[in-house]
Amino acid sequence: MSLWVDKYRPKTLDELSYHEGLTTRMRALANSGDFPHLLVYGPSGAGKKTRISCILRELFGKGVERLKIDQRVFLTPSKRKLDVNIVQSNYHIELTPSDVGNYDRVVIQDLLKEIAQTQQVDLNAKQRFKVVVINEADLLSRDAQAALRRTMEKFMSNMRIILCANSTSRLIAPIKSRCLLMRVAAPSPEEIKTVLQQVAKNVGFDLPPEASEKIAEDSNGNLRKATLVLEALKMQSKDLNSPSLTIPKPDWESYCHKVADLIMSEQTPAKVMEVRGKFYELLSHCIPPTVILKTVAERLVDQMDESLKADVMYWAAFYERRMRMGNKKIFHLEAWVIKVMCLYKHYFFDVDMEDLNAFD
Amino acid sequence: MCLHLICPGQAPSTLLSVLGSHFSDSQTLIGSAFTQSPDLPSSGGNAGLLIKATTFEGKPVFIRKKVQTDRGKKVITRSSLHRMGTAGKVTGLLDVPLHRLMDELAVSASDPTKSAQCSSESLSASSSKAHGELWVDRYRPQQYTDLVGDDRVHREVMAWVKEWDHCVFGKSKGRRKTTEDGQYLDEYRRPQEKLLLISGPPGLGKTTLAHIVAKQAGYKVFEINASDARSGSVVDERIRPSLESGAAIGSSKPVLVIVDEIDGATGAGDSSTGFIQKLIALTQDSSHKRQKNDKKERRPLLRPIICICNDLYASSLTKLRTYARIIRLTRTADIHIVKRLRDICERERLKADSRALTALVGIAQGDLRGCLNTLQFLKRREAEVTEDVVRKATHGMKEADASQISVLNDLFCPMQRKRARDLGMTGEEESRYVGRLARSIESTGAPDKVALGCFEHYPNLSKHDSTFSKYSKAVEWLGSYDLLSNGMRSEREYGLMNYLPYMIVPFYPLFQERGAQKVERPKMDWENYTKTKAHEEIYKSLSKCLRSACAREVGCFRHLLNEQILQLELSPYINRILSPPLRPINSQIIKPEERAVLNRLVDLMVALDLRFVQDKAEDGSLIYRLDPPVDVFVTYDGKRSSDIAISRYAVRQLVANEIDARASRRQADGALAGKPERKGLLGKRWAYFNLDMSDTLKNERIASRDQCLTLTAFQPPTDFFNRPIVVKSKPVSRTSLEKATSPILVVSYKFNEGNSSAVRKPVKVSSFF
Repeated sequence: MSLWVDKYRPKTLDELSYHEGLTTRMRALANSGDFPHLLVYGPSGAGKKTRISCILRELFGKGVERLKIDQRVFLTPSKRKLDVNIVQSNYHIELTPSDVGNYDRVVIQDLLKEIAQTQQVDLNAKQRFKVVVINEADLLSRDAQAALRRTMEKFMSNMRIILCANSTSRLIAPIKSRCLLMRVAAPSPEEIKTVLQQVAKNVGFDLPPEASEKIAEDSNGNLRKATLVLEALKMQSKDLNSPSLTIPKPDWESYCHKVADLIMSEQTPAKVMEVRGKFYELLSHCIPPTVILKTVAERLVDQMDESLKADVMYWAAFYERRMRMGNKKIFHLEAWVIKVMCLYKHYFFDVDMEDLNAFD
Repeated sequence: MCLHLICPGQAPSTLLSVLGSHFSDSQTLIGSAFTQSPDLPSSGGNAGLLIKATTFEGKPVFIRKKVQTDRGKKVITRSSLHRMGTAGKVTGLLDVPLHRLMDELAVSASDPTKSAQCSSESLSASSSKAHGELWVDRYRPQQYTDLVGDDRVHREVMAWVKEWDHCVFGKSKGRRKTTEDGQYLDEYRRPQEKLLLISGPPGLGKTTLAHIVAKQAGYKVFEINASDARSGSVVDERIRPSLESGAAIGSSKPVLVIVDEIDGATGAGDSSTGFIQKLIALTQDSSHKRQKNDKKERRPLLRPIICICNDLYASSLTKLRTYARIIRLTRTADIHIVKRLRDICERERLKADSRALTALVGIAQGDLRGCLNTLQFLKRREAEVTEDVVRKATHGMKEADASQISVLNDLFCPMQRKRARDLGMTGEEESRYVGRLARSIESTGAPDKVALGCFEHYPNLSKHDSTFSKYSKAVEWLGSYDLLSNGMRSEREYGLMNYLPYMIVPFYPLFQERGAQKVERPKMDWENYTKTKAHEEIYKSLSKCLRSACAREVGCFRHLLNEQILQLELSPYINRILSPPLRPINSQIIKPEERAVLNRLVDLMVALDLRFVQDKAEDGSLIYRLDPPVDVFVTYDGKRSSDIAISRYAVRQLVANEIDARASRRQADGALAGKPERKGLLGKRWAYFNLDMSDTLKNERIASRDQCLTLTAFQPPTDFFNRPIVVKSKPVSRTSLEKATSPILVVSYKFNEGNSSAVRKPVKVSSFF
């Protein structure tokens, strides 16, 4: 039994419902007999991985769906053991090297060489090459990316690489130039709506258009999220027709909104302490600090006066950069909060801070 | 003048340097020390021996011993007798009963022959012997009465050691018995805590206290300190044997173990092999003795153990603290230390004025050992100790060893006037804080923790700061600190370490306030850290569940495995998906639509390896807990989001039962599949068909499992490629034989979990018969 996200995931290129142009190009590529390295990128929940598996299906046929999941052990130069989970079929292999952090280079080197140096065993295979799918390619360390470079050229006859990333900015230029870049944009709310309707039809219930519209709007172009929300809604309340249907927000998000409201409500040292407690709560729930900062900032910007919006965002960016460079995330989060409180107060009371400081 | 005679025949080292015997009587101080100088040219037997004595006024007096009178001898023999008889009778706190001591003194005082023999010609004799000896050792107290400091603490230690008397010496003490009966009675009559933990800053005489108390109470000391190996094996190899043998080697006295500097011992972790854990196990063995009596008989702990540490809150001692009686040694009142120092100076004929000594004690913060060492060092250089000299000599001592908390307090409070005076700082010097504070931050060795302490403390201060001017400056400094320290670590440029403290110093001008509230030990960050770790573990187990589900369901959940998706999208929604509003009804009479929801829920939970586990809540009521507890991710500030229905006990029970039923059905399938194979009737491997386990076939799992063909009676089985399976003739004949002899028909089939690309074909079980 699986979640709807998986159950109704398109399996072939024909089943894909949106980005028609992209689909035709993919089909053409797969059938051209001259398949390049691919770099598929786009926002989370846009359908990158689904498309990749559809391409694989197009390339190799049904055999690619016979998956085997296992764990491989790699040895670092310092004799530490790394466990990497691998999903593979006879024709392809999927891995997420960034799971092992800084040691991803070892995985890339060992595994890719091993695959690249053996030829396709199945004589009946449609293609002469095997495919390596590398997930979260933008999180690869520089060393790992460098290790990839040469392999991509040298073993072109035996192997193709499909990289899957959220953005190309962290990939080094040599990698980008060796790949065919393929952007999978987030689906529009309309497209999400049709997909949701499709899912509902497959499951066998009637999804009122208002509900699907609400979900689509709330999902922010993330189809995976939209499907999860749909399933949660269906599971929780039979009745999707009621006009007062509320779309469940993830808890961390509503909590972030609470933090933003707290910042807006009062700007005092006591509130600073309170906000800090909330930040700690969020951090302890393993919510990435950059996500926290972004969510709170977006909420603040929604509510603040026009003239302050640019400033709030500027400082959010400023402190996010510092946060990435630093180690203690909470220091920078709090610094940003104090900055925002300062700005807001300044605006609200229309006093010049510099003057006030002079009297201090 | 009172004099105390010492037998020349005894070893000098044990008798040397008895100093400042304090008696309760406030006006009598019998300052008498005796130094024997055996290295003087002895001109004719006993006549050459000199005895040094000090008068009340501090004048050294040397006595040449001529002929011993009968009376003197008697005293000597008596006193030495007392000393030797200690082991046998320990009744009071004192080695020798007080009235005897008084008698002795009275006798020696009334002896006119001794006092008369003052010889001024041998002045230099005293220092000649002990040149290489440290003053600390020379003037180490030898008896309980010599101890300087808080008498109450000393008595507490003594009392604890005395509580062992019944166990060790086998005597009951009438005085304590009544109270003991009331609180605690051990079968061996031991004190409740079998360990004593003495803590306190260095130089206050913890080790000396322990040794003297042990000696006075009639024990032989067995000491383990930092110079010995202190791994867990030491406990087994050295401490346990010495405790179990009861008495020390070569002596009839019982043994007392002193573990000095225990805060440096291993055992901070949870490993059971650490020193601390072993030590605790040693003390606890006896209490659990009854239960594990049969297993390994360990002798109970029958001898006292005293542990000594500097930092009571060292991480390695956390476990020990709960098992030990804790005694804290604090700084002795300066006046007593000064007095003792003055006595010593007099004895060493070093001119020192009180002000200088007071200053010295102030700088050393009561560290008696440090004071003595400084004085000895000064003795070699200067003839006279003045305040100036002391200040010059103790430059290094000022910042010695600052704890995190004290540094934090220094940062948020200006220096106390008294302390500034102690250090002899002028107002101008005091106002130059940067160097001073930076150095003290550096001396803690953990600027990160100081920064964290600042971070946790500063919002408690200047709450009226409405413009956030101070706050923004403070966070700016903290941010720069973090950037610098992280940069330093990632680039491995540890040379930058010197500059780190300066990033924290600005808190002083920003927030310092006289009489501000004391800084508390920073704990929020640590709490957050432990909580994060716990939640990470839950994420890990959830992703493990997903992974195994992925293996079972052939790659279904693998796209949700990404950490960020797991945290931000899956965990909030999976909780909602898993908590449908169900009514607690018997699963037999449930409505079809509810049945469908329930089925789906159970299916999902089985697929994801999530379970409801029965557990007891804090108030004792039974609850069903989700395992792994993924519901923590929708619980913020201890509250669940309002749109998730709190599933009631009965509902969870219903679901749990369904899951169990499903699991047991699955298990039964597995057992059915496994058993015949294990029996291996023919002891042969069977060719088998691996059947496709698609969704449609699931319900008929039992019926159409992957099977083995064993029978020969019907049409030859063919494989996927329609080639007939060649079954060897031998098993065939044996099968038929078996069939003929035994009426039981055995079908053997085997199912491999998951799927493989092996040949598959649906076959009905009936076709095998």
